[in-house]
Amino acid sequence: MRTTRVKDMVLDTALVGSVVLLLVFFYVPIVTLVAFSFTSSRVLTLPIEGFSFAWYGELFRKPDFLPAVANSAIVAAVSTVFATVFGTAGALAWIRYRFRLQSLFRAVTFAPLLFPQLLLGVVMLLWFSVLGNWLGFSTGLVTVVIGHIVYITPFALVIVAVQVHGFDETLEDAARDAGASGWEVFREVTFPLLWPGIFSAATFSFLLSWGNFYISYSLSGTARTLPVFVYSGIAVGSSPIYPALATLNFIPALLLVALAEYMRRRALKRQAAAGS
Amino acid sequence: MKIEQKSWRDPVLIAAVAPLALVMLVFFLVPLVMTAVLTFQTTQYYRLVWTWDLKIWTEVFSKPHYWTIMGRTMVMALICVVLCVLIAFPAAYALATRLKSYSTAIQILIIFAFLTDAVLKTFGWILVLDKNGVANWLLAHLGFPAEALNLLFSPAGTMIGMVYNLVVYPMFTIYLSLVRIDRDLLLAAYDAGASRVRAFFEVTLPLARPGLYSGAILVFVLSLGAFLEPRVLGGGTAPLASELIRQSFETRVNWPLGAALTLVLILIGALTLALVGVIALRNPFGKRRAAA
Repeated sequence: MRTTRVKDMVLDTALVGSVVLLLVFFYVPIVTLVAFSFTSSRVLTLPIEGFSFAWYGELFRKPDFLPAVANSAIVAAVSTVFATVFGTAGALAWIRYRFRLQSLFRAVTFAPLLFPQLLLGVVMLLWFSVLGNWLGFSTGLVTVVIGHIVYITPFALVIVAVQVHGFDETLEDAARDAGASGWEVFREVTFPLLWPGIFSAATFSFLLSWGNFYISYSLSGTARTLPVFVYSGIAVGSSPIYPALATLNFIPALLLVALAEYMRRRALKRQAAAGS
Repeated sequence: MKIEQKSWRDPVLIAAVAPLALVMLVFFLVPLVMTAVLTFQTTQYYRLVWTWDLKIWTEVFSKPHYWTIMGRTMVMALICVVLCVLIAFPAAYALATRLKSYSTAIQILIIFAFLTDAVLKTFGWILVLDKNGVANWLLAHLGFPAEALNLLFSPAGTMIGMVYNLVVYPMFTIYLSLVRIDRDLLLAAYDAGASRVRAFFEVTLPLARPGLYSGAILVFVLSLGAFLEPRVLGGGTAPLASELIRQSFETRVNWPLGAALTLVLILIGALTLALVGVIALRNPFGKRRAAA
């Protein structure tokens, strides 16, 4: 009896340890960047000699990254709106409706998830280049936005679909019985119930677009988004301003992710409790 | 959940389906066809010439150099799959069975790490793996010889980056199939006298198979297109297929060649996907439908 208990403890420790190790693995580069952003030295090696905000100052003294930030913000905002709307409509069509050619619709809307981003970017670049030759345009922010929508919508769709799946439709029936029109039912019942999932999908979409490198790199032409800017910077050599830039990038994202996930999970739990 | 039968004449269905379907058709399916069409064209003085020619495909199939790199890409992808599954499975299992009360917080941390800018994270790895980097500093303080690790600018550096960027996928697919397992099945196995090890191998593992398969295939397919990792962390020491594609576009300005190499990679991914699908369907426990 005692040996099984010891074995259990060893197993439990090993399993919990694997999660801890995984988290350490995930956060090693992130924590490293945040730590180095506060160094006073120019060389990015340990031990960190002194604490300073010097590189944040340096970052804003030469704000050549700001146009890239503006581009990223525009691209992410527009892509998020489209990906979230398409994802929500698509999730309803995936889960709640049955129609002809539905399996084809599912396959086509899911497929971009199975594509390496580089190849997705290249395939679209070829198309936009041919099309641009015929119609006289060149790649830029608009093509980046289209690329992001194609890549990100499947993610948004899957997230909203989880919410649709746990949906309690008796509330909709009740609203309909009370005389609400189809649009009113959607606005007053369906949408508020799906909102945590939609908000989560929007957050996910925004951050996926904001941090996207591959598709922006393929499709941005001469315009630059933030990840493309950083890529061309680190290709030349490492500089102490990147950790500061990274840290400024991480903090709002972390807060947003935590908020969205908290809302979504609370709502799912409530649905599960109401459903059982 | 209520399921509504919809006809294509229903404006609600058209509103829900048509815009997204149109975007995917025009910007995803048509580009794929165009990629295939372009492989039969040629270039002259860096300009595309519309002909119907097998020149590019003859070049692709006659140069062993391309296939060495394709082969290396597939080997790297396979190693990446094995490492990702080995790392993801215990963690997903622990998350589903031991750490339930912390699982939300842990998942938020993982999602955040996944969603942050890949270029910045890759730069972070340079600082960690560099000869004078964080990893060697820590190891030296633990009593290892100076500069114990020399992983940056080697295939090992590439692999660390690939596993780092992709391990999230199997982690979540395996977790999702594990949390769906009905505890009563395990209790029944114990009642029937199965040991915990036996119950794990005969109940848990078969039921986790959809998650294992889908996670593994995602990692394989996505790692075929790894570009940042071999370039930034591998330092170009052992180029992968992505580098070939980049060169054919940027250095050689040969679109048909780039299109053909892209198509080869897509076909490798699609064939693997089909193969795994067939294997998964043949196994009664691997059937996705049976679980749903």
